[in-house]
Amino acid sequence: MSNSFVELHARQRAEALLDAGSTRELIGPFDNMISPHLEPQNIVPEADDGIVVMKGQLNQKDTVIIAIEGAFQGGGIGEVSGAKIVSALEHVLADNKAGHKEYPIIILDTGGVRLQEANYGLLSISEIHNMVIALKQYVPVIGLVPGRVGSFGGMSITNALLSYVIGTDKARIGLNGPEVIEQEAGVKEWDSSDKNLIWNTLGTKQRQATGIIDEVVDDDVNAFRTAITAAIDENKDSHRDQRGDFYLSLLDQLDPSQPLDIAGYDQLFKQVVAKPHHLAPATSGSQPGTKSRGRNWFELLTGIKNAHSDVPTVLHAQADGREYVAIVPAEDNRFPRVRHGEVGLQEGYTVASVINDLIAADADKPAAEKTPIVIVVDVPSQAYGYKEELIGIHMSLASAASAYARARQAGHKVVSFIPGDAVSGGFLAQGLQSNRLVALDDLDITIQAMSKASSARITQRTIAELEEATKHVPAMAYDIENYQKLGSLYNLIKGVKGYDSDANAVATVKAALDDAFKSLEDAPADLSFRYTNDIAVNGEGGGRKATNKVRALMDQQW
Amino acid sequence: MEKMHFNYAATQPIERPVHIGVVASGDLEVIMKPTDKKESELNIVTGSDGFKEVWQNVLNRFFDRYPLLADFEINDFGATPGVVNLRLTQAMEALKDEQ
Repeated sequence: MSNSFVELHARQRAEALLDAGSTRELIGPFDNMISPHLEPQNIVPEADDGIVVMKGQLNQKDTVIIAIEGAFQGGGIGEVSGAKIVSALEHVLADNKAGHKEYPIIILDTGGVRLQEANYGLLSISEIHNMVIALKQYVPVIGLVPGRVGSFGGMSITNALLSYVIGTDKARIGLNGPEVIEQEAGVKEWDSSDKNLIWNTLGTKQRQATGIIDEVVDDDVNAFRTAITAAIDENKDSHRDQRGDFYLSLLDQLDPSQPLDIAGYDQLFKQVVAKPHHLAPATSGSQPGTKSRGRNWFELLTGIKNAHSDVPTVLHAQADGREYVAIVPAEDNRFPRVRHGEVGLQEGYTVASVINDLIAADADKPAAEKTPIVIVVDVPSQAYGYKEELIGIHMSLASAASAYARARQAGHKVVSFIPGDAVSGGFLAQGLQSNRLVALDDLDITIQAMSKASSARITQRTIAELEEATKHVPAMAYDIENYQKLGSLYNLIKGVKGYDSDANAVATVKAALDDAFKSLEDAPADLSFRYTNDIAVNGEGGGRKATNKVRALMDQQW
Repeated sequence: MEKMHFNYAATQPIERPVHIGVVASGDLEVIMKPTDKKESELNIVTGSDGFKEVWQNVLNRFFDRYPLLADFEINDFGATPGVVNLRLTQAMEALKDEQ
């Protein structure tokens, strides 16, 4: 291919798309903004940390390209790379708000979170989600998936939030990579050595047929330029994060106990008619539900004993004028991959429907009177399964993240209360779009981007090496006390554990939630608290110092 | 990972910075920046330990031919000596194109 786009690296891709002579790179390789977290783990850094931000014009329109370098560390997003994306998008938003039309394009070539910077990656990606959702009110946010690494992990949730996505037949899109699914769910669930199955399931041909990518073009620079220009001119938006009724209707017709192959799914996809789905609040049942920390605290905070819901894994109810939402395990659940409390297809879309209903109900109220939301976080992960990937679980998680972000941006105060695990895509969907994170100081809480076994496999290290790395980089750790060192938490509640249920514990948590909501009066509705508080700015354990450096430099160079 | 440092006497100062390459598997990035110092300074981070002598040989040959006076930063992810030489030469050619 003489004018191949796929063959190019990130910087060349950005240059190739933009009109010749119009380009200017921001925070480029001469600015020495390398990741401070790689060398302590004996990993060679890259001068641009794998992200190229380039301003210029595309067919005379002001454009900002954010290109991820897939060849460097699998295009993984860490603290510096994430902050480059977030700060660039923030400037694009500010420019558009000020009446200067400027079009953001994100070139996805990424495995998602850079596992060597785990929790920084998750935080950054949730901040990217927030910015994409805010930007879509002003301009289409175009995504390209040329291929090589493709689009995976938390950045596929970003992918599903974008207005319009263009790729080639050399790209794949999924949430969990087949290797991780094999590690977590076993080789019978997905044999990651079966390359044909991988391409037939995740390749863009299948993805285009089932609504996961909008357009597949030839691997040619001009084909991309033409497709982008048309998408911008026609203001294309596929609203991929708002298809809950369609997918919940599809799931109603699916028998999860039976195998599902590609042909079977295509047939199902074609015949589904979207019906509205609304989940009634949880009510008190006669039998206790499957025990979990999330259920424990949902019941304590809402006063509903043995909470029962039409979707057994999603509990929501209002109490004390607040909306509480929890995702919980259900041992006999229809979908086997979420029986331990994972966020699956049904959970993401159902949570989104609950929050979308709340946004609609409160639409006419002034911000101060909109119902505050408490996300009760106890999610061991997203669901790992073949059917989940075939149907596109990343879109379900994106729908939940989008609903929480839109609620917050509309004026709802959103606080996440973390009595249980907060892991990976599950946490991106159910927790990380809140503007305050409040956690129990309980060392049984796991807070991370991936399980140790999978993370070791993907980064080609032993578990012992992985554990050694956590001593140097708090963002690699799995516990809530190291997490606090990043500056991410508004409050770490001492003396209360996940399974406590006494009156003192409940009073302590309620007081902490009251305090978090009070702090949100007249506070920004964005996620900036996480990198502007004292621990984030000055903390000895790392905080978000690199984030703040990147932000300052982007302000200067913009 | 290993960090290495080299100095080379050089006579041809560069006027502007240049960047070539990607820290991809079997590849490296080379950054050259103008300097006020009298000799070229090289800071190398490599993912392949124990090849200092090989680096020295490649660099000796390069500076014999092209005594570029600059600050060099090299991030290497297992490039072969041939690839190292190629990227150094490309960086030098990029300088020429711009001048």
